[in-house]
Amino acid sequence: MKPNDIQQDGPILSMNSVEVLYNSVMLAIKGVSIEVPYGGMVALLGSNGAGKSTTLKAISGLLSAERGKVSRGEIRFDGRVIGDNPPQQRVGLGICHVIEGRRVFEHLTPDENLEAAAPMSLSRTRVASEKARIYDYFPRLAERKSSLAGYLSGGEQQMLAIGRALMTQPRLLMLDEPSLGLAPFLVAEIFEIIKRINRDHGLSVLLVEQNALAALDIVSRGYLIENGRVVMHDTAERLKANSDIQEFYLGGSQAKSFHDIKHYRRRKRWLS
Amino acid sequence: MDIAYVSELAVNGALTGLLYSLFALGLVLIYKSSSVPNLAQGALTMLAAYVVLALSRQLGFPLWLGIAVTTIIMFLAGFGVEKVTLRRMAGRPIVMILMMTLGLDIFIRGSTLAVWGGTSRSMELGVSYDPLFLGPLLLSRINLAGACVAIALFVAFLLFFRTRRGIRLRAISDDYVASWSIGISVEHGVALSWGMASVVAVASAVIWGEIQGVDQSLSQLLLKGLTVAVLGGLDSIVGAILAGIVLGVIENVGASYLDLVVGGGSRDLIVAAVLIFTVMLRPHGLFGRHDIERV
Repeated sequence: MKPNDIQQDGPILSMNSVEVLYNSVMLAIKGVSIEVPYGGMVALLGSNGAGKSTTLKAISGLLSAERGKVSRGEIRFDGRVIGDNPPQQRVGLGICHVIEGRRVFEHLTPDENLEAAAPMSLSRTRVASEKARIYDYFPRLAERKSSLAGYLSGGEQQMLAIGRALMTQPRLLMLDEPSLGLAPFLVAEIFEIIKRINRDHGLSVLLVEQNALAALDIVSRGYLIENGRVVMHDTAERLKANSDIQEFYLGGSQAKSFHDIKHYRRRKRWLS
Repeated sequence: MDIAYVSELAVNGALTGLLYSLFALGLVLIYKSSSVPNLAQGALTMLAAYVVLALSRQLGFPLWLGIAVTTIIMFLAGFGVEKVTLRRMAGRPIVMILMMTLGLDIFIRGSTLAVWGGTSRSMELGVSYDPLFLGPLLLSRINLAGACVAIALFVAFLLFFRTRRGIRLRAISDDYVASWSIGISVEHGVALSWGMASVVAVASAVIWGEIQGVDQSLSQLLLKGLTVAVLGGLDSIVGAILAGIVLGVIENVGASYLDLVVGGGSRDLIVAAVLIFTVMLRPHGLFGRHDIERV
C-alpha cells in the first residue's frame, strides 16, 4: 500500500493472448488479453465457468497448484514479463490474489492471519502499523481480533481475506468473487472500502465478479469473458448501458427463458 | 496395594511419558505444517543415535560435540529428505505421501542395519545410575534428566509458533493454497518443519539411546510416539505433552497390575488399547483441531 510513486503511463498489468491448459489437455482460457492501468480499477465479468478465476490464477501463479499452466501468450507486470515465477515471487513483486471462497486461516486468529501475510523483511514496528491500518479500514476485525478466524461471519472473513492480502504490500490487488454469499449491504460496505483503498493508495484493482451491477458501480473499465474468450470490453458506463449486458448480467426488464439466452449466445458466437 | 508404591509407579511413568512426548513432538512438528503423519520418525531417531555414536566413537569427537554436529547433520538431512522425496508429492493423495514416509522408514532402517549391524551399542552419557530419592519416591536419574530436556524443547517450540515464522507454518497446515496466495513459501516451510523434527529426533535419540541402548529397536519408539501424538491431537504441542504423561502413567501403573495377571508383556497391549480407543472414541484427540463449523 505504498503511495502512488510509480510511472503513470502504460498498464501495470497486461495479458496478451494468454492461453491456459489444465492437465496438459483442457483449454480453460483461449487467448485472453486484458490491461489494468496504474491505479485503475477493472472488472472481469462473465458467467460461471467462463474463465475468470483461471485468468486470475494465471496472473498470480496459483495455476501450478491445480496442474495448470500458461501455454501461450505473455503476462507483463510493471513492464516485466512474469513467466514461470512461483506465486511467492509474484507476491514479492506486488501481485496479491484474494482467492475465491475467502479461505482465511480458520485455526488462527484474525491478528495471526494478518501477521502471517506480512513479508519476512518487514520490521516488527512496521507490521504493527500495517495491522493498525487494516483495522482502521475494517473496524469489525479489530473487535474480533483474538477469536478464531473460523468463527467469524462470512462478511468478516471476506474483510479478513482482503486485509490479509493488503498486508503483503500489493500494488495490484486481485479479488475473486468477493461478494459471493454475502448480504447486499455487506457487499456495498466491502466495495466501498476497496474503492477507498484504491483512492488513498493508488492501489490497482482487478475485480472478478458475477455480481456485475455492484462491480460496474466501482470500476472504470470492464471486460466480459465468455467461454474462455474476451467478448466485450469497454468503460463501465457504456457496459452498463449496453443492452446485451443489461439482458444477461444486470437482469433486464423483460425476462427471457434460459433457452433463449443460450440461443442468443450461440448466435453471438459466445459459445463454441 | 499401598499408595507409596502406586505413586512411585505414577511419577516414574509420567517421566517416561514425557520422553514419549519428546518423541511425539517430532511427529507433531511435521503434522502441524503439512498434515502428514511421518512414519519415518522412528527411523530418523535411530539414525540420529547411530550418527552420534559414529562421531564420538569412530571419529573420536567428545560426546557433546558429537551431539552438536549430529544436530546440524540431522537438520540438513531432514530438510533434504523433504526436498528430495516429498516435494514432488505436493497435492497427491495423503495415502501416497504416507506410503512415501513408510518407504523412507524401511530405507533408513535397512541402511543403518547394513552400515552399523544389529548389535546393541550403549550411548554412555555418563549419567549416574545411583538411586535418586525424592522424599519416599525412587526416581530414575536419566528419565528425570530427559524429562527436563523435553520440557525445555516444548517451551522453545511453543514460543517459536508464536513468532511470524511459526505463525506462517501454522498457516500452511491450515490452507496451503491460501498460504501461496499471500506469498508464503509453502515448500520451504514444510522442509523447515522436517529439519526441526529431525533435530528433535537427536534429543530423543540421545536420551532413549542411553535408556535402552542403540540398536534397531530404537525405531520402534514410533508405536508409542504415534499413540501419544494421536491421543494429544496430532497437531498440538500441549496435547502431546499431556498425552505423553497420561500414557506413561497408565502404562506404568496398568502394566504393574496386569502383568501379575497375564504374566508379563502387557505394556504394549496397553499402548495399543489407548491408540485404538482414541481413534474410535475421540479421533481429534485431547487437543486436536476440529473442523470449524459455523452456525
